[in-house]
Amino acid sequence: MSPASFTVEVVVENKSLARDPEGETIHHNLILKGGYSQVTNVRAGKLLRMNVEASSPGEAEQLVRKLCDDLRIYNPAAHVCQVRVVS
Amino acid sequence: MTRSVIEEPQSWTLVEVQKPNLTDEEIRYAVKKLQREPNEVEWAMLEAQWSEHCSYKSSKPLLKRLPSKGPRVLVGPGFDAGVIYIGDGWVVTLHIESHNHPSAIDPYGGAATGVGGVVRDILSLGTRPIALLDPLRFGSMDSLHTRWLFDNVVRGIADYGNCIGVPTVGGEVEFDTFFERNCLVDVVCVGLGRKDKLVLGEARDPGDLVYLVGGRTGRDGIRGASFASKTLAEKSDTERSAVQVPDPFTKKLVIEAILEAVDAKIIQGMKDLGGGGLTCGLSEIAAKAGTGIEIDLNRVQTREPNMQPAEIMISESQERMVLLVREENERKLVNILNKWEIGYAKIGHVTRDSLLIIRRGNEVVAKAPAKFVAEAPPVPRSAKRPEYLDALAEVPEPAMPEDLAQTLIELLSSPNIASKEWIYRQYDHEVGIRTIVKPGQADSAILRLPNKRSLALTTGGNSKQCYVDSYWGTVGVVSEAFCNLVAVGAEPVAAVDHLQFGNPGNPEVYWTFKEAIRAIANYLNAVGVPCVGGKVSFYNEDSMNRRAIKPSPVIAAIGLVESKTPKVLQALSREGDDLIVVGNTSDEMGGSEYYEHIHKLVGGRVPRVNLKKEKTLLRALLRTLRRGDVESLHDISKGGLAVALAEMSVQGHKGVTVDIDTVPNKTSRMDNLLFSESRSRFFLETKPKNSASIVNSFKRLGIPSAKVGTVTDNGIEFLSKRQVIITIPLDEASRAWSEAIPRAMEATP
Repeated sequence: MSPASFTVEVVVENKSLARDPEGETIHHNLILKGGYSQVTNVRAGKLLRMNVEASSPGEAEQLVRKLCDDLRIYNPAAHVCQVRVVS
Repeated sequence: MTRSVIEEPQSWTLVEVQKPNLTDEEIRYAVKKLQREPNEVEWAMLEAQWSEHCSYKSSKPLLKRLPSKGPRVLVGPGFDAGVIYIGDGWVVTLHIESHNHPSAIDPYGGAATGVGGVVRDILSLGTRPIALLDPLRFGSMDSLHTRWLFDNVVRGIADYGNCIGVPTVGGEVEFDTFFERNCLVDVVCVGLGRKDKLVLGEARDPGDLVYLVGGRTGRDGIRGASFASKTLAEKSDTERSAVQVPDPFTKKLVIEAILEAVDAKIIQGMKDLGGGGLTCGLSEIAAKAGTGIEIDLNRVQTREPNMQPAEIMISESQERMVLLVREENERKLVNILNKWEIGYAKIGHVTRDSLLIIRRGNEVVAKAPAKFVAEAPPVPRSAKRPEYLDALAEVPEPAMPEDLAQTLIELLSSPNIASKEWIYRQYDHEVGIRTIVKPGQADSAILRLPNKRSLALTTGGNSKQCYVDSYWGTVGVVSEAFCNLVAVGAEPVAAVDHLQFGNPGNPEVYWTFKEAIRAIANYLNAVGVPCVGGKVSFYNEDSMNRRAIKPSPVIAAIGLVESKTPKVLQALSREGDDLIVVGNTSDEMGGSEYYEHIHKLVGGRVPRVNLKKEKTLLRALLRTLRRGDVESLHDISKGGLAVALAEMSVQGHKGVTVDIDTVPNKTSRMDNLLFSESRSRFFLETKPKNSASIVNSFKRLGIPSAKVGTVTDNGIEFLSKRQVIITIPLDEASRAWSEAIPRAMEATP
């Protein structure tokens, strides 16, 4: 099977119980002060979008997941990291 | 679309070594004192407060041996920071902290929150933080894990310090495989304030209101210091292990709000919340004054729903302070806090009855004497001289290198010696516009003070020597810090110590700890300078092989520079000037970079310090500097005199020619003479007409000194018996010294 190109997104956020000062600041100082009181919470994070050559979506995801671990794209003690193949 | 969440690998979490539950004796003591079984909340509080981290239960009796008094000392050990009077109504505050375990797990956040913690200590005395210094210890730079820790720790310190507008002006770094997993991340903070506006961590006046100010209280950090109770284990471990997230912008607001309140003189007492959280803060602030405190947990602003009383009492959430305020000043305080948009809650009041009473609404959930909570029963520890010391004392002498020039190049590019510019260029070291001497320019940094004097700051540490000989190694660490101060023309006025060791229950570890304290006490007594505070960090062990770190006492010291003292840096300044050595060089190779980096040899005789002569030497050097005859100056430390000279040469873009035979010494080998790390030595550059009088002024006092060479426009050249034994072009030395760390950091896995 010839390799195809997949788009894989990596989302890194602070763990859910940890604080997120950036998100809090956006929420409090921008959104709430701007009058959007319907927004009850904001979490900021980091998104990496990668184009990956692989033979299947699963392989692309595996590869990206491995590189996130090996190269410490995130710190598992502090962050949660989602890997998703979007196309 | 597929999706997955990466699981947390088990191997990443540190082994929980820092969490002794209470011992049987402590449990018996608690029951006896309270005359009943403590409840769940009280046990949690005692576990937190009686942890080594909060209680100093293994170290307190020994720490009392350190001299802590002096004419300039207004506040000594036992408070959040030491306070030194610097004249004209001004005070300087000084404290050192570490964040070793948090940094080992989350180097960026751990290091940043470490900075945040020590800044709060300085703030809680009512003084403005004006400078930070960071002594750091990591494993070998060959390891990817070390580089990951190093990179993130430095970034964490830089980002936090830069965001709160406090310059990072110094520090030191040591690389050694013993710190591979348990890196040491220490932070020193210096504050500046007015004597008449000092605030102490004492609840002196019953009726004062207790305000909890700053961040909200969450579950983060609950595992941080001491807590391992199963009773809280409704959440899974991974959930509860949420690390503390630094929030420097909130901290900046807290700093400004509190200093405004200090300025308005409405704060009666103040305490930062760090390890042990509310339990520690409230019990200590009451115990210090013999009063009590009563609070209502329902008033504490929590970040998460359903937090249990025990969780609130021991949470170590960042950016929180406890303030005490008179009822009539309450409005003023609230206005200031509102202006800075700081969260706050009035949680209780100071009482007469010396009890700590924790309520939730009307229900009392904990009640115990504050002093009982604050002061853990001391733990007697046994000490035994480690057996490995005998083997370290007798190591065979290494072979003489064939090419000493190559050896010098290799030393210059050793990460322990190489330029640390890669680190300090990430720090904003000038914010606040007080910095007169910047990192890398001299042996200490210098800050401008408001009263025409200036303040010199430095740190010292040398785990390699302390491992081989903890007494003389530690004496050397203190000597290094004091030599750094006088090298910039400062008179040493105070020091703080940070004692970092393995498990104190191990008699061999405890013996090295005792030796380190004996060393610091002897040195400080010899030079007549007080220790105004400090910190002890035990249980620093490598989780992989259960090996304790090398003993790592670290000293931070400050000195005062009088207004007329000329500014002297370490870069050579003028061709044709003379080079003078002060101090004697001996066969003291133990723990030297030459033995460890070049020969991979651990052991030997560690440099000693003549404590009878040290004060005379420091004074004499200070006098010489103040006379204005010194063009440049560098203390001789890691790598010995060859390295010290190469550093002066590279930084000044000037060559040197030195006749090594003229250096005062008692060495048996050429390599020892060049690379020995004998203490209390300096290189001075002076105009030829001043040479003889400078040399004689030292000799008259019985301090060896000699003119040994001249500044040239060539490379670095050492002669012996009219033969060139080392010659290195300046640019080659410069490359070796400046590129080593950046190159190591560029290496890919």
